[in-house]
Amino acid sequence: MPGTVRRATWDRVPAGLRSLAWLALSLSVLVIPVFDDTWVRMFFLVGLYVVLGMGLNVVVGFAGLLDLGYVAFFAAGAYMVGIWSSPVSPAVDTSLSFWLILPLALVVGAVVGVLLGMPVLPLRGDYLAIVTLGFGEIVRILVVNMTNVTNGSQGLYNIPRPDIAYREVDNVQAFYVMIVLAAFGTWFVTTRLRDSRIGRAWEAIREDEDVAGAMGINTTKYKLMAFAIGASVGALGGAIYAPFITFISPESFTLLVSINVLALVIIGGMGSTQGVVAGSLILIGIPELLQFSETRDALEQMGWARDGLNGAIHAFNTVTTADVSDLPPADEWGEKLAVYRFIVFGALLVVVMVLRPMGLFPSRRRTLEFEYPPEAEVAGGGGGS
Amino acid sequence: MALLSISGLVAGYGGITAVKGIDLAVEQGEIVTLIGSNGAGKSTTLRAISGLVRPRRGAISFSGQPITSLLPHKIVALGISQVPEGRGIFHRLTVRENLDMGAFQRRDREVGADMERVFALFPRLKERAGQTGGTLSGGEQQMLAIGRAMMARPKLLLLDEPSMGLSPILVETIFETVTNIRAQGTTILLVEQNAAMALEVADRGYVIESGVISLHGTGAELARDDSVRKAYLGEA
Repeated sequence: MPGTVRRATWDRVPAGLRSLAWLALSLSVLVIPVFDDTWVRMFFLVGLYVVLGMGLNVVVGFAGLLDLGYVAFFAAGAYMVGIWSSPVSPAVDTSLSFWLILPLALVVGAVVGVLLGMPVLPLRGDYLAIVTLGFGEIVRILVVNMTNVTNGSQGLYNIPRPDIAYREVDNVQAFYVMIVLAAFGTWFVTTRLRDSRIGRAWEAIREDEDVAGAMGINTTKYKLMAFAIGASVGALGGAIYAPFITFISPESFTLLVSINVLALVIIGGMGSTQGVVAGSLILIGIPELLQFSETRDALEQMGWARDGLNGAIHAFNTVTTADVSDLPPADEWGEKLAVYRFIVFGALLVVVMVLRPMGLFPSRRRTLEFEYPPEAEVAGGGGGS
Repeated sequence: MALLSISGLVAGYGGITAVKGIDLAVEQGEIVTLIGSNGAGKSTTLRAISGLVRPRRGAISFSGQPITSLLPHKIVALGISQVPEGRGIFHRLTVRENLDMGAFQRRDREVGADMERVFALFPRLKERAGQTGGTLSGGEQQMLAIGRAMMARPKLLLLDEPSMGLSPILVETIFETVTNIRAQGTTILLVEQNAAMALEVADRGYVIESGVISLHGTGAELARDDSVRKAYLGEA
């Protein structure tokens, strides 16, 4: 039937089974703290990027504003905590409680979002992406140069851990729980917004900003709202990250963070929450995983896999007369893989994008964008109904 | 007092001045048409009325209230809706969602009833209610664009070339609907290249040439005018 959406494979799984799977997956986050600290640390980072991804999703996925400077808001949140609580903070002598700074960081994040959003209001698409990319760098360079506030490239260290019930939280498990709560909070707020009148305005703006205006939608207001909310969530992530890592410097806030967050949103499927979770697991989890000694050991046991790959290389060499050398010996290739993890990771990204161009868990809208690209739609103009 | 009155409007984009000082009035309950060839300044005039283009000079007022340079959403709130050139359908939203967008500013409980009214006006849209806008034919998209504009309950409806790219039979249907909408109490300002059809349904018409109003009269008068017949009705 024309116009019905071709369902993604996952959507063909019965609804009951699907919700059961999501429930199981959601509950599984509670099991993680019993694992080794390295694992919990890894899942903390995954959780952190889930929060950041959901924040960026509001801007990119819901409102369709391509923002390549998202790291600016992450930095704003982290530096709020650093400046107000690190003992080496040059501008502030006192050390405020984390729980006092946290809400302030959210507000400051939103304000920074509006301030960076205002000058880019008239820009669209590629131009918006380029300018926001510049903003991300400007914020990082500001942090380097405003030495009397940020301590410049030396960074802010010894950021105190938050207190819970008058006791300092010093284990990674507690941080993990914090980031999980933050992720659920963000999920709740952003999905409620998406399904509200505000979400509808974002949808119209993403589809066609001019027509949205003609429908009586105050595009300025709703675009700034998307920037503010996305930025506030970014700041939330930064505020939790700072006391976790206890040391922040401009080097932690490079373009790579923005790109990672955007990439995980795209890989997961733009506009979808499940996608953000899947994207973070792959983009953040796997590179971390490849560094683990357990992974290394496991790989060294897998000599057969190495032999298989070598066979493929030989075949490739015979067919193409190329000269690709063999993989390193079995007792070394685990270690080598850790060193070259970004190559493995890059290859994985290519595979995902080739097999599922709309992401792993596309939102319904995203599927439609691939079914009916805008250029193809106008063609039906001349003729009958 | 005219429902819409424009005086000395000058508007354009960048270095181009598309509209060079026009005066135009639309009375309550009228169908007024603005005809002219490609690039004469028709769409720019409409975009200036709905706030999508900022006028350089001149004044626009609606029910006696100045609306020059108001933001588009404020103008919609006052009761002016536009059917944009090229229809401006949200291609990935369903027909129902498109209609809902038209009622974005409304918070009353009659939106559902109004949607039924649109479906009564265009039964075709009801059949297609769950389909996405991009899958509709050109004629259906035009119906949707008009229906969506009506969802705002406008006092004045601006139509930008509703006949564009449609077959003669469909054009007939669309113009019939325009007459019906007026009969239900909505005033209409219609921009058209299809002068023959436009002058047939319009009470009054203006001819715009290179950004200036060159002729003005009742629909019948203009349809009889020699220069109009030559330039726009294709007669030798």
